[in-house]
This record gives sequence, structure tokens and C-alpha cells, in this order.
Amino acid sequence: AVAAKMAALGGGGTRWRRAWLPALQLLRRGSKAVTRHWKAMHFQRQKLLALTEYLPPRPAVPPRCLPCHNTQGREVGRGPGPALQGFGRAFSCGCGTQPGWSLWKSFPVPGGSPICGTLRSLVAPWGLGMRAPCRSCIHAKEGWAACRSEQSLPEGLWCSVPMPSSRSPGACIDDTILSRQGVENFARLPSLEVSQGQTVAALSLLSSQTSSLLQRGPSHLTALLDEHIRRLRDSGGATEPPPG
Amino acid sequence: PAGPGGVAVPRAGLKKLALPPDYSGITIPEKPKLKFMDKVPAVPKVQREPRRLRDIRGPSEVATDFTQGQYGILALGGGYLHWGHFEMIRLTIGRSMDPKSMFAVWRVPAPYKPVTRKSLGHRMGGGKGPVDHFVTAVKSGRLVVEVGGRCEFGEVRPFLARVAQKLPFPAIPVSRESLQEMRREEEAKRLDNQNPWTFERVVASNMLGMRRYLSPYDLQLKGRYWGKFFLKHRV
Repeated sequence: AVAAKMAALGGGGTRWRRAWLPALQLLRRGSKAVTRHWKAMHFQRQKLLALTEYLPPRPAVPPRCLPCHNTQGREVGRGPGPALQGFGRAFSCGCGTQPGWSLWKSFPVPGGSPICGTLRSLVAPWGLGMRAPCRSCIHAKEGWAACRSEQSLPEGLWCSVPMPSSRSPGACIDDTILSRQGVENFARLPSLEVSQGQTVAALSLLSSQTSSLLQRGPSHLTALLDEHIRRLRDSGGATEPPPG
Repeated sequence: PAGPGGVAVPRAGLKKLALPPDYSGITIPEKPKLKFMDKVPAVPKVQREPRRLRDIRGPSEVATDFTQGQYGILALGGGYLHWGHFEMIRLTIGRSMDPKSMFAVWRVPAPYKPVTRKSLGHRMGGGKGPVDHFVTAVKSGRLVVEVGGRCEFGEVRPFLARVAQKLPFPAIPVSRESLQEMRREEEAKRLDNQNPWTFERVVASNMLGMRRYLSPYDLQLKGRYWGKFFLKHRV
């Protein structure tokens, strides 16, 4: 800030003030010194302050050489780059905008050789339901997809929200390529809260049943045990009654 | 949590339990609000005093640490507080705090230093003007008010920040921990500075005859202070 001020001010105030003493520069930093004027600083002092500024310690590897990580900790390539080599065209889509989609932007991969083919040829070798091989070309936020086809994708092909009514052959959800059936199954899955509740209920079922049993009373418990033993005796061989 | 019949039903999940803070050792004094400060001291000085601006310059030696409260306003520059500032602080903090659970304490004295002003429109000369008002000198690094009680920093910070913004010098609300953190960071910055040339070193050994252009006070202030300003970015 001091250096910037020095560079910006140069000689300080107006011409007649500068002629007062050229080495003494007026440094204006938002409020005057308690007196009526700004506090002037000698230029040599300004140079000394610029020389003796704080220099933070530099890391051994500069941050631009390290691979960048997104918020989920996954490695993300900066732009298309080396991850999309061998693909003719790459498509990007914005997720979470609207349930229906418009086609994404498509652009030719720089330095990529054009290979003709359709999207199915891309889907087939990867296999439906399998994870996409290179994560750096499937970004969690903006669904990147690399395609070998030179032609643009038909509208509504890749979707972030599964729509059973679309004519798409498949979808890429959560880094996994799913077929049409897979998308429909995914749509029928319960929501996160529901599944969490189901898990909690399943885990606490045993303890809740035990507590409700213990609340009933000793006579009820005895009756239950007798019934249980009778049934075991009826079904299997002789069973020894449990102690106590 | 007790279920029906008094049997404790375990509930899935308390992964993180933040314990409520312990306010056992805190007593709220009888008069929790800030005391009223006089405009003029009880024995006003007749002899007019010289300006002595060095009571603004440099770091403060008094009132740099917390005594009674847990939170406060730290001055990051030098300046004079007059009665208007005192009233503003007193009323704002009195309005925003809860006297049953919080208390506030002054860490600056009432205005004691007379400031003279000549009447408007007159030419220079004719002696020193009469005493106009009284002020308190505050150096950087001094605590202005302290707030304590059964409260968190998050509750106190908004109104302390509003007060700090209105003061004539830069100020910030601090807590005991944040002040310690600030000091620690400053020390760490001083230690891991990669620049082999420091202001202190150049001035102490008078390299390049720099003391010709610097003040004799720069030996103690070490480039961090300039007039009433505290240069926070400097090491």
C-alpha cells in the first residue's frame, strides 16, 4: 500500500507544495495526523520501508505445479487438457439449472484427432453401470463428457435429473454411466432422508423391541418364554430350558 | 432421554456435542453499565498545556491486556477521545448489552488533557487560545472498553464493531483468545520473514546513513509506527 501510494503520488500535493522540500513527500492515508496537515515522509524513508517489507516463506513446490483439487477432494483437470486426448469433441453441461435441458456447449478438443463414431460406441466399451474410466473428464459439478462423435449430440441426451420420458439411451449420474433402465431404477430410489431413517430404524429395532419387552412385566415375559419353549419342543427335539 | 416406563431409549446420533461454556467464575458487579464520564475534570487546569503529540505516538504501555472482562475494543492507531466519543460508547454499549448477564468497564481515563482553540476568523498571533475542551490520549494497542459476563464473543462483536467504527482511530473488537492469536501471528510473521533486510537492523546499525532521514524515535518504533498510525502490514 505504501509502495502504491508512493508510485501514485510521486511528488505529493500541488506544485507549490512540492517545491517546499522535494524530498519530503506528503503521504495521504485517509486521515490527517492530529495536526492540520498530512504527515510528510522523507523519500529515503519510503524507499527503506519498501525495501524492508515482509516476505512470506515460499513453498518448495509452487502451487501452479501441483494438481488442483475441487471441494470434494477429487483431482480435476484444468479444462480439457490431457484428460480428453483422443476424443474429437467434448461436451459440457450445467447441472441443476432446469429439469429439461438444452444442449450443452460443444467445442473441439485442442490437439485432439477427430474420430468418427456415435455415442453408443463410447458407451459400449465402457459398459453400462460401470464407472467412467477417467475422472478428470467427468466433473461432479459440470457434467463433462467426451464423445468420439463429430456430430453434436441430440437434445436431451445427458441429463443431471433422471427423466423417464426422455428419448435418451442413457445418462451419466454421479460418475456412473447408466442405461435407460438404470436411470429408471435410480429414479425410483427413495430420497436420502428416507433411506437414513430406514437405516436408523433397522439398527434400533432390536433395542426398541427389547425395551418394550422389558416394560411389560415379569409375568408376561415368563409366559412368552414358556410359549417359546413349547414351540421348540413341538418342532424340534427336546430343548433344554434356558437357565433363570 | 427417558422413554415410557422410565426406561432410557437410546437415540441414534449425537456425533458432536459442544458443551455449554462454563461461567462459574464470573461475577457481575453492582453497576454493570459504563460509568458516566465528565466533560471537564473536577479540578480544571488553569495553566494551558503544550500540545505534546507524543502521547499519541507509538505503542501503548498501559491497558494492553484484559483485566476483568473477556471482550473489548482494541485501538489500532493513536488518537484523542473527547466527551462526544465517550457518550457514544456509553450509550451504544448500554443500549446493546443486557445488564443482568453482562457488564462493561472503562479502560481509559476521563478527559484530562486541555485542548486550546483560537476563535474563528482571527489572524495568527495574540498568544495561545483559551481552553476549548478536554480529551483523552489513546495510543495504539490500548484497550478502550472491556465487556464481560455470561455472553459469547459472537453476541458481543456486532455492537462492539459498530462502536469501533465510530472511533477516531482504527479499532477492532477482540476477545482474550483473539488477542493472543493476533500476538502469536505477529510473532510468527516476525520469525519467518524471508527478507534479510529489516527496518530494525538498518536503523540500529545506521546502514547507508539512514538515520539522517529517520527520526530518533524510529529506533524504538522500528518502522511499525508513523505518527499516530500503526502500520499493521509491516513486520
